[in-house]
Amino acid sequence: MASSSAPVKPLSVSEQLQQLNAARKIVLENPTYYDRIVKGILPIIGPSSPVELRRWGADFLAESLGTPALSTRDKENLTVSILETLRSLVENPNEDPLVLKASILAAASAYSVVVRWIIHNSYHIESWEHIMAIKSSILRIWDTAVTPVKICCIKFVQRVVLAQTASNGIGPNYNGLDVSLSMIPAGHPVLDPRLLEAEAAGLLDRMLSVLQDNSSDALLVDATLNLLSILIRTRPSTSNRITNVVLNFNPLKLANSPMTPRNKVLIRSMEKTTRMLLLHLLKRDPNNQLTPRIQQHIDRLVRSRAEIFDEANRKRALVEQPQAGQGDAKRQKVDGAVPQLQIPPLAPGPQSLAAVFTLTQNLGLQAFDVTQVPIGFASRISVRTLAGLDQQLLDQAINGIRGRLTTLQTTVVPIQPPVMSAETSPLGVEDDDDDYEPNFYAAEDTEQILNKLDTAPPDIPPEQADEENTLAPLGQFQLPPPPLLDPDTANKIGQVTASRIFGPLTVLEEPPARKQRAGINRLAASTYDRDAWLTLITRLATRSTAGLERNSAVKEEELDQPRVAINNMIREMLYNYILEDWRRRIEIAVAWLCEEWYNDQLTKRSQLSDAPLYYETWALRLVDGFISFATAQDKVLTRFLAEIPELSPALLGRLKSLCGDPTTVQLALTTLLYMVMMRPPVKEIALDTVAAIWLEYEDARPLAAKYLVKFRPGFIEAQKALAEGGNGNGTPAAAT
Amino acid sequence: MAAVESAGGAAASSTQDGQTNDQTEFKLKFCTVCASNQNRSMEGHLRLSEANFPVISFGTGSLVRLPGPTISQPNVYKFNETSYDSIYRELEAKDPRLYRANGLLNMLGRNRVVKWGPERWQDWQVGMPRIKHEKDKGSEGMEGGIADIVITCEERCWDAVIDDLLNRGSPLNRPVHVINIDIKDNHEEAAVGGKAIVDLANSLNKVAVEERNKVGAGSFDSGSAAARSSFDERVPDVLAEWQERWPNLPSTWTLAWF
Repeated sequence: MASSSAPVKPLSVSEQLQQLNAARKIVLENPTYYDRIVKGILPIIGPSSPVELRRWGADFLAESLGTPALSTRDKENLTVSILETLRSLVENPNEDPLVLKASILAAASAYSVVVRWIIHNSYHIESWEHIMAIKSSILRIWDTAVTPVKICCIKFVQRVVLAQTASNGIGPNYNGLDVSLSMIPAGHPVLDPRLLEAEAAGLLDRMLSVLQDNSSDALLVDATLNLLSILIRTRPSTSNRITNVVLNFNPLKLANSPMTPRNKVLIRSMEKTTRMLLLHLLKRDPNNQLTPRIQQHIDRLVRSRAEIFDEANRKRALVEQPQAGQGDAKRQKVDGAVPQLQIPPLAPGPQSLAAVFTLTQNLGLQAFDVTQVPIGFASRISVRTLAGLDQQLLDQAINGIRGRLTTLQTTVVPIQPPVMSAETSPLGVEDDDDDYEPNFYAAEDTEQILNKLDTAPPDIPPEQADEENTLAPLGQFQLPPPPLLDPDTANKIGQVTASRIFGPLTVLEEPPARKQRAGINRLAASTYDRDAWLTLITRLATRSTAGLERNSAVKEEELDQPRVAINNMIREMLYNYILEDWRRRIEIAVAWLCEEWYNDQLTKRSQLSDAPLYYETWALRLVDGFISFATAQDKVLTRFLAEIPELSPALLGRLKSLCGDPTTVQLALTTLLYMVMMRPPVKEIALDTVAAIWLEYEDARPLAAKYLVKFRPGFIEAQKALAEGGNGNGTPAAAT
Repeated sequence: MAAVESAGGAAASSTQDGQTNDQTEFKLKFCTVCASNQNRSMEGHLRLSEANFPVISFGTGSLVRLPGPTISQPNVYKFNETSYDSIYRELEAKDPRLYRANGLLNMLGRNRVVKWGPERWQDWQVGMPRIKHEKDKGSEGMEGGIADIVITCEERCWDAVIDDLLNRGSPLNRPVHVINIDIKDNHEEAAVGGKAIVDLANSLNKVAVEERNKVGAGSFDSGSAAARSSFDERVPDVLAEWQERWPNLPSTWTLAWF
């Protein structure tokens, strides 16, 4: 490499860049060359080289010192050798910002390596002097530099703070992140931990000043925030200080300035970055004492953000309206609308109470029966309306009604029949003025008064007398008979009822994943969760009509076909419920079939030979249902067949259909093998099924044969002999 | 120092013509991210590579999830271990009609010519040289294994990326702009999003090239307006302008560290 870098002069810049890129490719392919190649290119990229080469060089140095392909130990030699070049780049007062950026970032990578190097090689004071000079240059540049260079300074300072504070030892240990104050032995000739720590504390303060000043420079803010996590997590002495500064930082301050598209981007960015850092801290350390404050702050940020962006939208909408400038015209319109309330005088003649209080002239509204509105709803409407009501408007309305009432008083009173007394007034149909019927009213009154005069002993209190009197004249009242219930309607209503039983399943919570097994003491359906409800449903399906079905089932079928007993409706729905998500609901299916089986046993025992049995029917339906969805991975099918209480040839025979699909042959046969091995009572049935599969499905033969050879020796030979014999006789091989 | 400075300036001006080619060839390095590294990030990957940008792509999910025959039966694969081609062949064998109809085969067919297989963001060793990926589209320029801009396609993924970067602790000392663009996870929206990503990439790259063309000159010293318009500072402006052009793709940005 040294030879290629020697003839610098005759090569153009672009040619040199090509060579440099080729050299870079070599180290990328084999990192062991880093040392040689980096040293080789140092002369080309020094401060006197063209800016393109300096840029390339600084980028390459930053890449080399940062690469994860080399361990910190491997980087020591490399780092020490480039410090001088790095120093000259950083100290050049007129350096190109891009070169400066990359150089500072390279220095950030170098810092922890050099600290580590000096810890072990305190004699090499020269490299420590270089890095100190680099540090003071960077700290000098920091305040005056352009923002992109500034963020690199912040990054450098972050690494200095990391290296010069005590670690809690739980952070990552790559790329020098583990280098910390804890590594410096006491009495080190060059490094004084107390001084270093004091310097780090000062630098941290300076670094956090961006947040403390509540800067609105999103680039600086984001860059700083995104560097704090590792300090908080692995350098405990900084944690509280940093977290408090972050909690006091208001990323939404910029929202007070005009909402330009740029500002929107900046506000969003700072708010989200702050929130992400806090969320990240919550997640990593939920037991921190600051957790409640952090949580609060996050909530507040989310709320404020929503408000700011909502308000921004609203304001913009107003500005966009062309009439927004002519506010006066609008206000006049509103003012004028308030006082005009037309209160028509009441028509002559008797009036209902409702009519007295009705202000609207809209006939449709007048006819509206307010009592139909649910009370809660009505009260909410009333409160809302009263709260928003204009005082003037209310006064007008009250005065209007008051006026009506006074006119009513003056005109209506003379019409009252003279027999009316204060005592009898509640006898009418009370306040319910909608039912007001003058004729009826009067007639009742006379009669009641007569009754009262006849029956009432003189000393009873008036209220009681009234009560008795109101009860007395009420004739016999009959509710209209309910409409006749025909079987169809009954059936439909039954279905609705059955489906409502399934309603709670969607609402009830999933039982906890790890259940406590109560063993034999378990009491079914006692936990009020979904499982309990399902137990209830299965029992409703199986036992609700147990013992009632004997002859009626037959008779009903003869009488009218469509009628379905409610328990069968529930069964049907249970079936659908299971199939909706059958892999997860297989346990429900098993529980259900156990109930069915038990119920069938009871039926059989009760000697009712004509009562229907359900177990087999529904087991078959379920298996059919599952099989149509089964894939090769569905071992639940095996489990299902293993757990249900009884297996029949027909049930196991259903597995045959799985063998039509090459992917599920294995599933079918392993299921059967499981039955053969684990359920001795059905061993023969299972083997019969395997044999049938062997006969019917050529593709499944190799696997089926394996099991048959083991468990039913001689079968295959017999079949083969038979088949050959059959062929010899001119008949085709059976069912293959 | 003054002599050095003028020499540098002379060198710069003398190579200005030859340099412009090089400079316009400068390309920012991109990284696209979505949940499964299948649809949105791969659309972006392909489009960016077609626009000659160096690009890599990742997914932030725990597993690669693709729709299956029902909503409860997704096809699930491991990141970094399954190739697009093997997924393609598996799905084609399972149910060619279904997976052709829902566009999966078409998508996987596209992906398998872009790169080998879906990669997981959290498993990515940032900065590890990627020289074994020459066949990947957009691999040229990505040999260093590092990106200047990360574009995520969903807020959730942006969150995952930022959280992961905070967790890593910025060992590489290298700034990276992380931008989220909310793209809905379907083929049509991914196509629109792909266009928007290329638009953003072009706008960003234009600004970056302008910065690099401002050769030498102690520009930051002068504190002039020109000096202030560096690439990093202009990213929010570029994004704001881009957002006006693509109002239906809400975006978020931050400057993070590798």
